[in-house]
Amino acid sequence: MISGTRSQCLRISGLRFGYQQGAKLIDDLDLEVAPGELHTVVGPSGCGKTTLLRLIAGLERAPQGEIHVNGKQVAGERLHLQPEQRDVGFVFQDYALFPHLSAERNVSFGIRGKHRRERRTIARRLLDRFGLSDHTDAMPHTLSGGQLQRVAIARALARDPSVMLFDEPFCNLEVSQRAAIRRDVFDALKADGIATILVTHDPDEATEYEDHRTEFFQHERRNHTQSHNEQITT
Amino acid sequence: MGRLVRLWLLVPFAIAMIVVVPLVVVFARAAGDASESWNHLVDTRLLDYALNTIALAALVGILTLAFGVPPAWLVQTQRFPGRGMLSWALMLPLAVPAYVAAYALTDLLQFSGPVQGWMREQTGWTRSDYWFPDLRTLPGAALILASTLYPYVYLSARVAFASLPRSAMEASRTLGCGPARTFFRVALPLSRPAIVAGLALVIMETFADFGAVQHCAVDTFATGIYRAWYGMDSQAAAARLSVLLVLGVATLLLIEWALRRRREHHHNTHRSAPLPPRELRGLRSWMACAVCCIPLLIGFILPGARLLALAIERGDRRLASVLECGLNSLKLGTASSVIAVILATCIVATHRASAGRSTGVLKTLTRYGYALPGPVIAIGVITVLAWGDHRLNDLWAALPGERERLGLVLSGTIVALLVGYQTRFLGVAVPLIEAGYGRINRRLDDAARTLGASPAGVFARIHLPNLRAPMLAASLFVFVDVVKELPATLMLRPFNYDTLAVRVYQLASEERLDEAATGALVIVGIGMLPVLVLARRFSTEHRAGGAGVRTEEVSA
Repeated sequence: MISGTRSQCLRISGLRFGYQQGAKLIDDLDLEVAPGELHTVVGPSGCGKTTLLRLIAGLERAPQGEIHVNGKQVAGERLHLQPEQRDVGFVFQDYALFPHLSAERNVSFGIRGKHRRERRTIARRLLDRFGLSDHTDAMPHTLSGGQLQRVAIARALARDPSVMLFDEPFCNLEVSQRAAIRRDVFDALKADGIATILVTHDPDEATEYEDHRTEFFQHERRNHTQSHNEQITT
Repeated sequence: MGRLVRLWLLVPFAIAMIVVVPLVVVFARAAGDASESWNHLVDTRLLDYALNTIALAALVGILTLAFGVPPAWLVQTQRFPGRGMLSWALMLPLAVPAYVAAYALTDLLQFSGPVQGWMREQTGWTRSDYWFPDLRTLPGAALILASTLYPYVYLSARVAFASLPRSAMEASRTLGCGPARTFFRVALPLSRPAIVAGLALVIMETFADFGAVQHCAVDTFATGIYRAWYGMDSQAAAARLSVLLVLGVATLLLIEWALRRRREHHHNTHRSAPLPPRELRGLRSWMACAVCCIPLLIGFILPGARLLALAIERGDRRLASVLECGLNSLKLGTASSVIAVILATCIVATHRASAGRSTGVLKTLTRYGYALPGPVIAIGVITVLAWGDHRLNDLWAALPGERERLGLVLSGTIVALLVGYQTRFLGVAVPLIEAGYGRINRRLDDAARTLGASPAGVFARIHLPNLRAPMLAASLFVFVDVVKELPATLMLRPFNYDTLAVRVYQLASEERLDEAATGALVIVGIGMLPVLVLARRFSTEHRAGGAGVRTEEVSA
């Protein structure tokens, strides 16, 4: 289910995105993430971090620039693959678990082309991996914040994506839980060789795990954003 | 002071009895002797009534889902030509009572009607050369009912679709589901309880419908009750049929309640902004437009156009009678709506003041009157009022001195109609007033009390000014429902006292539809008032980005 190291990664070149004419939220962004690497995107609220993830996932259309996932172009000039056609997992800030489905059925939601029993086995294995084997039948509203988050990650991983996108996944958790969950999650992603982008407004969120970092600055209120890539030695 | 508070609790109790007593009386009456007529009914008609009612409800349910859900999804989540107008126009069939649609559509599509006539003229065919669907059948009645009742499902589905969490929909897309799979696997299951609530209303209305099924010659419980009462002169048999119908409604409400309870879990999860509408292009956009236009065409445009044509062509020549019936409807509607608003405000205000469980139960009871079909209410009300008349006459006779008999001052006058309308339509006013009260923060009451206002002062100076809009809305909705109401009016009205609905019914049952058209058009015109209010409210609340109209308001 979870494959080993991959030869390709996420590659973004010349990406631009703006809500208003002239005011660019993301301006000429280049970014590469290798398999098993964690790339953090840091910046204040409203500077375009989440938009970057939505562009990679295909939830927004990129007007300019190219995005390649696992060697396949998913966005470019007159090209926009739909989210379901991209090999990308997304963990939403509010986790976005389906409230009408149990934890197990949430996790098995995206698994295709497999028999029901096999889907179930995969979902249970993933839930077990994240310490949720006792909560397979639990409905989302009965789970704690940390459990919800782990179900959301297991759900995104169940499709065996090449790239995982995290939108401030730890901000709704209690401080005491964060370190342990972060460790479990990033260790699992590195072990699976998944290229990961973590968006956060907290510069210290993942310092010990990150391989690269992009910082978004917001100089003016008119949504003029500059970005630069800064290599972090690991 | 303590005693005064307890006396106050009698007010909601008395109001709830307007709904409870007729129902209890119907049950009591069903236990009376009816062996001969009842046995006859059981041997001959009962199975037909039951099967027809169930088949009709099932067909109407399926058709309303088909007419209501796809347009709701398209209007809420897609952009296509005519979307803005269709978003409110799709509610217009609410203005057309099912019996009016039945008269107009059967006339339009009957053998001697304009459609078949035109067809024969163009092709030279005779009767035996072609087949044409007959609306005076069970499927025809289902189509007519569904085309006028689907807005309940449309509205509840739209409210549900508008409040779908955007992130859950997007999560489904990132997990490999395209727009169609996302609709079936996420949007529809999440919206199901709301859609079921709308559907339950539709089926209740189907159970209660009298005029449309009668015109289409489909025997259901509602027509059976009327026939047992007037045709067989067996009140106990009518009451037994009513009990069966009420049990059907109760089962429906139980199912709906169970599904609603399950929904409550779902709402504990995170919510986020609704999805922005997606642009449809080319053929798809026109197909979306067509899907939305079909129910509107059958439920409003065709019946409206036919009635208009008939009214212009010939119409009701006895305009004085139309005016008289219109005035009667106006008086009954106005009086009923004022009474309903006063009673609803009393029961909601006492519940707010006492915050007790008992007042809450009483308040909830009043809402269920809307679920009782008109003929059932009529039997309950007339039985209670006839008993009251007897007691009054006994008292009158016992008074010293010679005088004329008092007569039927309750059951033989418009008092019976006014009481019957309260039993049925208090359930429309209470949720609206309750919603209005819900928006008045209790801290305002506290603030007013600390500034020296008495409880009555708080009501007069804080609640009343803030309740103006919901009170107006409630009175408008009750007014229109009273004007449209047919079966209870037919059974409860005094002799020689006709309303617009009754006149339209009588003319149509004598196949004088061209004359009935004038009154029917007036009813549709009046019925459009709350639809326009609802449409305005719907669009403003949605523009504001909220979840929109409350389900109770939609139900109303």
